[in-house]
Amino acid sequence: MKLSFIRGCFPSNLSVFIKPSISTNLLRPICFSSMSSPPTSLKPQIPLFLRPPLHSVSVSDLRKWHDWAKNLASSVGTTFLDSDNGPDLDLLCRELKWLMEDAIEDHTVFSQMGIENNQTNVRLRTGIEELYNLWKQRIEERRPFQYLVGCEHWRDLVLSVQDGVLIPRPETELIVDLVADVVSNNEGLREGLWADLGTGSGALAIGIGRILGSCGRVIATDLSPVALSVAAFNVQKYGLQDVIELRQGSWFKPLKDVEGKLAGIVSNPPYIPSDNIPGLQAEVGRHEPRLALDGGLNGMDDLLHLCNGAALMLRPGGFFIFETNGEKQCKCLAKYIENDIRGSFHSLDIVSDFAGIQRFLTGFRQ
Amino acid sequence: MGSELVWRWCVVGNGLVRCFYNNTTATATAIAKASSLYLSSPKPKPKFLILTPPLALIRITRSSSSSSLNLSQGYSSSSSSSNENNNEKKKKGGREYLEMTEQELMRECEMDTFKASGPGGQHRNKRESAVRVKHIPTGLIAQAVEDRSQHMNRSSALARLRTLLALHVRNTVDIDTYSPPPHLLSILPLKSTLRSSGPQIGPNNPKFLLGMQALLDLILAVDGSVSEAAKYVGLSTGALSRLILSHDSLRMAVNQLRASKGLKPLK
Ligand SMILES: C[S@@+](CC[C@H](N)C(=O)[O-])C[C@H]1O[C@@H](n2cnc3c(N)ncnc32)[C@H](O)[C@@H]1O
Repeated sequence: MKLSFIRGCFPSNLSVFIKPSISTNLLRPICFSSMSSPPTSLKPQIPLFLRPPLHSVSVSDLRKWHDWAKNLASSVGTTFLDSDNGPDLDLLCRELKWLMEDAIEDHTVFSQMGIENNQTNVRLRTGIEELYNLWKQRIEERRPFQYLVGCEHWRDLVLSVQDGVLIPRPETELIVDLVADVVSNNEGLREGLWADLGTGSGALAIGIGRILGSCGRVIATDLSPVALSVAAFNVQKYGLQDVIELRQGSWFKPLKDVEGKLAGIVSNPPYIPSDNIPGLQAEVGRHEPRLALDGGLNGMDDLLHLCNGAALMLRPGGFFIFETNGEKQCKCLAKYIENDIRGSFHSLDIVSDFAGIQRFLTGFRQ
Repeated sequence: MGSELVWRWCVVGNGLVRCFYNNTTATATAIAKASSLYLSSPKPKPKFLILTPPLALIRITRSSSSSSLNLSQGYSSSSSSSNENNNEKKKKGGREYLEMTEQELMRECEMDTFKASGPGGQHRNKRESAVRVKHIPTGLIAQAVEDRSQHMNRSSALARLRTLLALHVRNTVDIDTYSPPPHLLSILPLKSTLRSSGPQIGPNNPKFLLGMQALLDLILAVDGSVSEAAKYVGLSTGALSRLILSHDSLRMAVNQLRASKGLKPLK
């Protein structure tokens, strides 16, 4: 099966273009600018570290900012930690260091400069006023660090992220290892068609796109146009336009044409029970999109939907892996598969994450 | 969940990682196993030795009688563990460890992350990407916290582990027939009389570890005497001392080795 991108009407300089849900107009893809949200919000932001160093500031002014930022962080103490298990001073200081890495054109030179260099100028990727602004947002509004710098380091990738798109989590990194494990001794899966459902920043699709064989392809879907535009940016950044196709729509809806043909399905769907949302760490609850987090009453709405869909969409021998909220959801899903949709899957396995939480459910289509 | 968790990583197929969860008891066993290395009595001609590492990161406690021991014997005494690679591991010396690929080395390690707090996953935004790897055969532990992704921290921790292996796991050398291996020659200053051509390899080159390891093997074989060692590598005592002192962890390892022989530290 040949997947290709259609070039043309993407409103930014990106040539990546996203197909809408197929139900009504399978053959007439619309482009971003004709979607309901304003096109400006769909132009992905350039991460700080990729912006040109057009600003300039003296070493002493930059130090002044740094001391101010450090003080502001110190004033937090353990307040965030105590209130909602948020960041402590240690983590905030590390983030401050990373912010400097991303903002200063040559941060290693800066960190070695002594007082005698106070009048020297340093080139920045954003203005010093903006740096004050950003750090204020970090501390006062608990805006996630990754949204300040517009990127997240995930596996060996640096992925662009922005408001409206879930920041990929370290736990999820393991899914790529597990897929690599499965495809290593199975050529059919390695050269097959995969789907990443609810791709967000495109993290999983890109991680997997890089380990599949030369014929392997990934379709990545999401309901959120912002997520898709960011995913498109990331796909392009890693030169995977010919491997990953992005489609907009709800779960399996945009995949009707590949029913029963998928070699693998991966997904990290929203799985937080609705009533846990108000108590979330402020960085998550106040800033990350609810669409990416809320999994309904017991958090299982989307997971159950995905299990049912996977039985239909996977080809015989196809593989799935879903991320869950932990042991309870893993066991509940496994039980559902063993009882309610008996005969669909075999070799179910629950895999724990780095912290020992039973995080992933995997299995194969009969 | 407040206990420390231990992960056994095992590499399947071509470098793919899978992990198995062990509970706290397993951690305790692993630590006990590592310490038991120090309790077993040394054999007269050990294949290789492990010296007590000086850094706080390394969790093996110093043996009261001797700072070195017969690792191969120590290891076999604890081989009741479930690890299938035991037999293979028993045969390895320090040099073999350094020659292993990242995946091969990971296969001999447990990966350990710091305490889990709360449900994690989508609930959290915290860069809990710190990684600690423990090398089962030697008990050496290395960690990395400063990278921005867990994956990269794992690589950094493994790189650090390699340095520790070079510094602390000794190969025996036969001093009567000794001639310095090429890796050792390549880290020597050009004035060494044994050296042919080629640039001097510095600490930033990954090959430096092999040279450093060989140098420590030699210094142990001559009972910690820098002047003796200098003769074997065609340098003056001063030139070899300068080389040792120019590299912090090398200096610490040499001084530790000298201390175990009752010699004063190099300064
Ligand atoms: C927890 S996020 C995971 C994002 C990304 N895969 C990752 O691991 O970082 C869940 C994603 O599912 C998307 N999503 C939510 N409901 C959806 C639906 N009905 N159909 C498709 N995607 C949906 C959200 O927009 C969000 O990007």
